[in-house]
Amino acid sequence: MDLEMVKYLAELGKLDFTEDELKKASSDMTSIIELMDKVKEIDVTYDALADNKNIYLNDLREDFNEPSMPTEKVIANAKNRDNCFVVPKVVE
Amino acid sequence: MELKNSSINDIRKALDGKEISVKELTDEYYSRIESADKKLDCFITLSKEQAYKACDKAQEKINNGQASPLTGIPMAIKDNICTEGVKTTCASRMLENFIPPYNATVMDKLENEGIVMLGKVSMDEFAMGGSTQTAAFKKTKNPYDTTRVPGGSSGGSASAVSADLCTAALGSDTGGSIRQPSSFCGVTGMKPTYSRVSRYGLVAFASSLDQIGPVAKNAQDCGTILNAICGFDIHDGTSAKVDVPDFNAKIGKDIKGLKIALPKEFFADGIDDVIKTAVLKAADEYKSMGAELVECSMPSLKYAIPAYYLIASAEAASNLSRYDGIKYGHRTEKKCESYDELIKASRREGFGDEVKRRILLGNYALSSGYYDAYYGKAMALRQLIRKEYNDIFEKCDVILTPTTPTTAYRCDENISDPVKMYQADICTVTVNIAGLPAISTPCGYDDKGLPIGMSIIGKPFDEQTVIQTANAYEKNFTRVLPNID
Repeated sequence: MDLEMVKYLAELGKLDFTEDELKKASSDMTSIIELMDKVKEIDVTYDALADNKNIYLNDLREDFNEPSMPTEKVIANAKNRDNCFVVPKVVE
Repeated sequence: MELKNSSINDIRKALDGKEISVKELTDEYYSRIESADKKLDCFITLSKEQAYKACDKAQEKINNGQASPLTGIPMAIKDNICTEGVKTTCASRMLENFIPPYNATVMDKLENEGIVMLGKVSMDEFAMGGSTQTAAFKKTKNPYDTTRVPGGSSGGSASAVSADLCTAALGSDTGGSIRQPSSFCGVTGMKPTYSRVSRYGLVAFASSLDQIGPVAKNAQDCGTILNAICGFDIHDGTSAKVDVPDFNAKIGKDIKGLKIALPKEFFADGIDDVIKTAVLKAADEYKSMGAELVECSMPSLKYAIPAYYLIASAEAASNLSRYDGIKYGHRTEKKCESYDELIKASRREGFGDEVKRRILLGNYALSSGYYDAYYGKAMALRQLIRKEYNDIFEKCDVILTPTTPTTAYRCDENISDPVKMYQADICTVTVNIAGLPAISTPCGYDDKGLPIGMSIIGKPFDEQTVIQTANAYEKNFTRVLPNID
């Protein structure tokens, strides 16, 4: 797998690599894709209908109110201020 | 009390017979952890405060004659199962300081039963690996040889049960993560049918494959834990609305006439001879008990590894996109000017190499131009593998295979070679792909004294026959215990 492809995939996954790490990832991914290429040897087609026949879209639960998790416990795992998450400035 | 090889049943009798109190028992386990875990590195977090509170409640239940099978039983919990108020790290820098604001459904159920949670045990980072060596901290060792891996990803659970640092444990299994470490550590581990156990509160890796299950001293103990943790849960959209039977109800019943399938591909090249011999010897023992052995075939096995890694990584890439450094999880200390910069820096610092590889692979399999050739093909193979299992189960009751191609390997092996690491999952991944129940239990030891495990795979929701079959063998099998003292 070439470096451009690794860079593209890294961007999709919001990963950040140094040049050396990119080279290592490119070499690792080349051997991994070689292993994955085995699936190309067999001629089979996915049948979406067969997989979804047991899913009943009308089988839904009733709506009901439940208490939410306490805000202070939820935000305790994040950088927070005034009961809100803190994020970098997103508008100019 | 002698903790060595004590099962849930043994401990139950001692607690109910007032030979020992829950607190004394908990003290004994903590003192054992204190001395032995220095060599094994199973526990990431000890939850002593919660444990001793649970002791009091459990003792009260016992004193009032209201004990359930798990009341007062000291257990370890894999560190990807959310425990309210107790750190849940997934053995990752990303969640190193994460304290869940809620319990996983299985934890609510176990707490209702009155278990004593001793602490949280290590695993491969985000359950991605088969050695517990991808853990960012606490790279667990095998109690039979501390230079060797305990397997993974539930390596902390299996090593802790094997070394008597707890009576039983919970693990999770996405491609063999309960069965393979159970095999390497000489204990019994079970992956239930997909959707049997609620995944609510299990940190998601590959949602269509993940399943929580027990690691214990024997099949009956696995059944006892399953009795407590199974059942429909409104919080898990894939949870099955099926009856929960007594999973141990068929234990002790004659297995005469039971049809056991032996798929030839699981006994082919690539599986060590010593393992093939041990599993086939176990098959002969089943025959002598009156079971019928049936030769069969699973031609799609040769495609199982890529099919599994494509599906699992595609789901992982999506599931792990939630770690942005904002809502919870590691947030970089670096000053970042933009949202994008903050996410990338946090993920760079928080995720280890294997997790990053899986995200790259998953995005590759799902990306435009490659989707049909990889993800689409893997999903087609998933249907083919299910069909081949269905065909075998038309003629047989259970399937017997090795759990692993080799016994436990050295800690420095495989870790730098992802392809080799992935190929070692060949015996276990098809069970997850097809959503079936399976148990691994010891059936021998190699020339170095390392345990060999065999897997018994059942029809969907037929955990009872799987447990019955494993128990029938265990009754006549003598375990060689590890010596870490």
